[in-house]
Amino acid sequence: MLLLLLLQATQSAPPPVSPTVINLAAWVALGFLGLMGIAILYYVFAGKIDLGGLISEPSGEASMSRFQLLIFTFVIAASFFLIVVSKSGFPDPIPQGVLVLLGISSSSYLVSKGIQASSKQGLGPQESSVKVKGSQTTTTLGGQTIQFQADVAGLSDDTVTWTLDPPTGRGTIDQKGLYTPPPATQTDAHGKKVVIQAAAKEDVSVKDTVTIELL
Amino acid sequence: MSVDQIISFVRWEVFGFLGGLAAIIAYRLLNGQINTRYLFYGTQKDGAKYFSPERVQLLLFTLGVAIFYLNDVMEKRKSGALPDISTQTLVLLGGSHAIYLGGKAYMMLLKNIRKGEQ
Repeated sequence: MLLLLLLQATQSAPPPVSPTVINLAAWVALGFLGLMGIAILYYVFAGKIDLGGLISEPSGEASMSRFQLLIFTFVIAASFFLIVVSKSGFPDPIPQGVLVLLGISSSSYLVSKGIQASSKQGLGPQESSVKVKGSQTTTTLGGQTIQFQADVAGLSDDTVTWTLDPPTGRGTIDQKGLYTPPPATQTDAHGKKVVIQAAAKEDVSVKDTVTIELL
Repeated sequence: MSVDQIISFVRWEVFGFLGGLAAIIAYRLLNGQINTRYLFYGTQKDGAKYFSPERVQLLLFTLGVAIFYLNDVMEKRKSGALPDISTQTLVLLGGSHAIYLGGKAYMMLLKNIRKGEQ
């Protein structure tokens, strides 16, 4: 019976579909696409789709070639849809100038990546590091403050946490890297050393230290 | 439920999505949630950073051409065809990209070759 029905279905012309069904199918498809669009926008807005590295290299640095490709992609896509809804049909033909523009933008991105891949720096992530710099490595009890700087490389967040070892009794350091030695009256600290450490906030295992001698 | 209603719905759907996405991206670029660190800086082979005017000019040309083209599309959208881009504009944009790529290649590759490091 099923075979007979299949045979009949293949031999006879398809029945005409009513406009109501076509409209209904169109609304279902558009509703589905609309819900997908809303879901994507919601996830992007809520941060569940992370756009933080949209124009970034694996090293964490922003890339101009990616940025210009993003701009032109948006502009041409928006223009294309604007024409489609104005005309209620696809623009035909696509002008050569637009194709050349997209070609310039895309090939510039590709060549840029090729140049990077040919260099020692390459496309791989930079090794992250912190380097502490200070003007001196000795000071006196009650002496002048010393300003330290921490250079962070290979991380997107370049802020650090400053700490002392031992944490008390050998001066203080603020979160701007300004070290203040102990007062002259604190004679038990004389001739001792204090370790100043800067640890990256993004990754506390990335750190550097310098040792100050208290004279 | 006419065809006109469907077309109107498509119009709002597409532009709602593209506009929403563009607005979110623009907002995140401005408040730093999309990383733009070193956007105007290049990297030499030794890893040192340098301020790169070729990147600044590329951004200016990119924004200029993009705004010019969007304006052209808005004016001519009733014609039902994507407006073409003049040869002069394409040559200017190509030149801007060539300067950017040339500068990048020089700093990352040729500079070291001239020094005999490769």
